[in-house]
Amino acid sequence: MQPYLDRTLDDTQVREAEAHLDGCSYCRSRYRFEVSLRRYVRTAAAEQMPVELKAKLSALRTPLQ
Amino acid sequence: MSEPTQTDARRIAEEARERVRFEEEALDLSDQVFRVARHLVGSREEAEDLMQETYARAFRSWRSFTPGTNLRAWLLRILTNLNIDRGRRQQRTPQTTSIDEHPDYYLYNKIEEAEGRPLDEERVIEKLSQGSIVDALAHVPHDFRDVLVLVDIGEFSYADTAQILDIPIGTVMSRLHRARRILKGELAEEVAT
Repeated sequence: MQPYLDRTLDDTQVREAEAHLDGCSYCRSRYRFEVSLRRYVRTAAAEQMPVELKAKLSALRTPLQ
Repeated sequence: MSEPTQTDARRIAEEARERVRFEEEALDLSDQVFRVARHLVGSREEAEDLMQETYARAFRSWRSFTPGTNLRAWLLRILTNLNIDRGRRQQRTPQTTSIDEHPDYYLYNKIEEAEGRPLDEERVIEKLSQGSIVDALAHVPHDFRDVLVLVDIGEFSYADTAQILDIPIGTVMSRLHRARRILKGELAEEVAT
């Protein structure tokens, strides 16, 4: 399941996994759960960079001669 | 003497242009770098310090970046190295003696059990708060969390992650697998309580 979610399987393996998912509702619902969870982790963890930090980073640039 | 001087001047001007271009591209990526950095360390303050150190280092050593390669990965390589140099191993994160690991579907089953009926996936996710995800992430031990954060939040490939952390790709995969289990275990605790 994890390699399929991470898209690290080769074409044959992907076809096998998909064929299995098509016929197995147990795995299919858990697959959908994993997809939603990953999406949720990504959104929940997204924190905006403070504007002041961006200014500080810009200030680190090499001054133009 | 005037010929070489002109050539020198042209070369210097060209280099200055390249540097400016590099700095602008690096700054454009800073939001994305921060998003990852924020979860590699324990607090927002630490993340901000680490970002500044990283960018100071990057601007100093811009010549060692190969144009056309992945600049975001290059910046994160610097950042993760600096983070390790800072002796983060002594920092926070209560390193639990035994890591709770559960089977792949543990979280799903646990939530389903708590609800007492089969669930639709979206509803399951709604049961998890944003804060619980952030806390759960912070409880994943460093080595595992680095991989999880780079792959799942930074959306780096296994290959890029391996390069950033300087570990074999097989280690990326096994750590990622364990990291996800640990994360889900943490979330399951939350749901169960």
